[in-house]
Amino acid sequence: MGLVRRNAPPPEETAAPPSIDTLMSQLDDPDPDCRREAALGLGGADEAVPALLSRVAGEAEPAVRDAMLTTLAAHDTAAVAEGLAVHLATDDAGLRTAAAEALATMPVAVPAIVPRLLADPDHDVRVMTAMVLADLPHPGSQTWLAQMIAEDEHPNVVTAAIDALLPSLGPEHHDLLRAAVERFPEDPFLRFTVEAALR
Amino acid sequence: MTSAATAGAGLSDAEFEKFREYFYKRTGIQFTSAKRYFVDKRIDACIRGSKFDTFTSWFAALRLSERSDLLQELINQLTVNETYFLREDYQFDSMLRTVLPEVLEARGGLNRIVGPVKILSLPCSTGEEPYSIALRLLEEWPPIDRIDVEIHGADIDSDVLSKARHASYGERSLQRVPKKWRDKYFSPVGGGRFQLDEGIRGAVTLHQVNVCDTNAMRAFRDFDVVFCRNVLIYFDELSSRRAAENLYGAMRPGGYLFLGHSESMSRISPIFTPTRLPEGIVYQRPTGANR
Amino acid sequence: MTETPVKVLVVDDAATVRLYHTSLLSEAGFHVEEAANGLEAVESALTTAYDLFVVDVNMPKMDGYSCVETLRSETVGTPAPVLMISTEDRPGDADRAYAAGANLYMVKPVSSERLVRVARMLTAGSGIPA
Repeated sequence: MGLVRRNAPPPEETAAPPSIDTLMSQLDDPDPDCRREAALGLGGADEAVPALLSRVAGEAEPAVRDAMLTTLAAHDTAAVAEGLAVHLATDDAGLRTAAAEALATMPVAVPAIVPRLLADPDHDVRVMTAMVLADLPHPGSQTWLAQMIAEDEHPNVVTAAIDALLPSLGPEHHDLLRAAVERFPEDPFLRFTVEAALR
Repeated sequence: MTSAATAGAGLSDAEFEKFREYFYKRTGIQFTSAKRYFVDKRIDACIRGSKFDTFTSWFAALRLSERSDLLQELINQLTVNETYFLREDYQFDSMLRTVLPEVLEARGGLNRIVGPVKILSLPCSTGEEPYSIALRLLEEWPPIDRIDVEIHGADIDSDVLSKARHASYGERSLQRVPKKWRDKYFSPVGGGRFQLDEGIRGAVTLHQVNVCDTNAMRAFRDFDVVFCRNVLIYFDELSSRRAAENLYGAMRPGGYLFLGHSESMSRISPIFTPTRLPEGIVYQRPTGANR
Repeated sequence: MTETPVKVLVVDDAATVRLYHTSLLSEAGFHVEEAANGLEAVESALTTAYDLFVVDVNMPKMDGYSCVETLRSETVGTPAPVLMISTEDRPGDADRAYAAGANLYMVKPVSSERLVRVARMLTAGSGIPA
């Protein structure tokens, strides 16, 4: 009794990691923890991307879905960006925000789909796009956000874009903000936000 | 030295607010206005140490890049990296008073527990943390006479691990160790240094591992208590998420995770359940039942 | 005065929204604290007893519905009223909010008068301002 040292490593420490095929078959295991570990273990495996993308929306366990998104977001490719952007429109609030977070970590592939997202007819998708751009480490983000503030016809998109642009706001944006207030004179929050930003 | 507008002049209120929001979002660490002077000075040091002239250009580069050197330097400036025995030991109090009794109960009670209670210190650096845990258990947790406890330390850096194995420490590192414990568990090895008792050194298992490496982290299983203090703040978004996922995999359902006192899981990952203990917030891997 | 002010937690990832709601409610006499996502709100609620939560829907790490579910669950178990304010006006959103445990669901923008009126209504009886 007392402090003990573990001398012999347990079998899993010396065992070779499971093969990609094994991990992919485990994505459908009834045990959520097995699915979660499989999703994480597939980090870096290009061949697993389609299988992961097709399971993100249907995965009921948040911890498993998070593991899938952690692995997917590290593949900063067009296929993953397209596959995740679809979920910005979903009614599942947890999924759409998780998808937005993942996209915000993909500065290579996301820029190509931004123009399409900015033109999406669903203003809720455009609000989510502002959320992506807020954290996307890409020099174009500020320009797209400024474009949203100048052109988007929905006040909630404009306020979301202002919020996203706030950390990088400079004097060059002041006219843009004043113009936004003039476009939506009825929106008290937009007015307040712009006044606070201009102070 | 540059003649930058920002350098030396401190931040404007608006700059401070922007910075505070960013740093909070990025690391979960929040500075109150009371820390304004401290933050201004440290940011100024970061800007001077960088190739940028002004707060604006430095901050833009910081925000735009996932290049971690600017962020790493900033975090180094704004946090305390020192390690020493019994650092932030209110968390060890919490472990002894609240967490370990809960662990024992969840595992069937003192008389029926099967297998050892497992504790992980990651990163363990030069060993102060896992050895502090060992000392406090031996001195202050009577159930240790009746059950087995495994303590593991892990770090990515092989240099600190070899120091941890040697376990000899200077005055600074030992300042919080009571004299009685020092006499009992340490012996002088010259040069003002004291080496930890071989029995304890031998009982703590040390590993080299990268917490972000899922395959390597598979070797860590069924831990009841994990200390992962002041490291996740250094990682970018995806790495900190992966590290959190790997720690989750290393823990027993219901197991407890301690982060550094100014850290919060709320900026990293939602997979753990925050739990309030008398000594502060701790995170638990959910059990199937309370999902 | 010995009365305790009514404590509100404003939960929104948008700094501008937090500022707006905080300034409106503070001016109206509420004591306001902020959280930037659902998880942070849960952590705050574990250590502080709030009289009202004002919660956004789209937030990173933990969305508003999950946040409200957790506030109502065993993890926190707060009986305090929850007002959800969202940019979303999809069909079924209000139902989801009520199913999660919210007391009221509103779509942005919410006028200052309306926010204060609703906050007072929801917290009537929990101190000043009632």
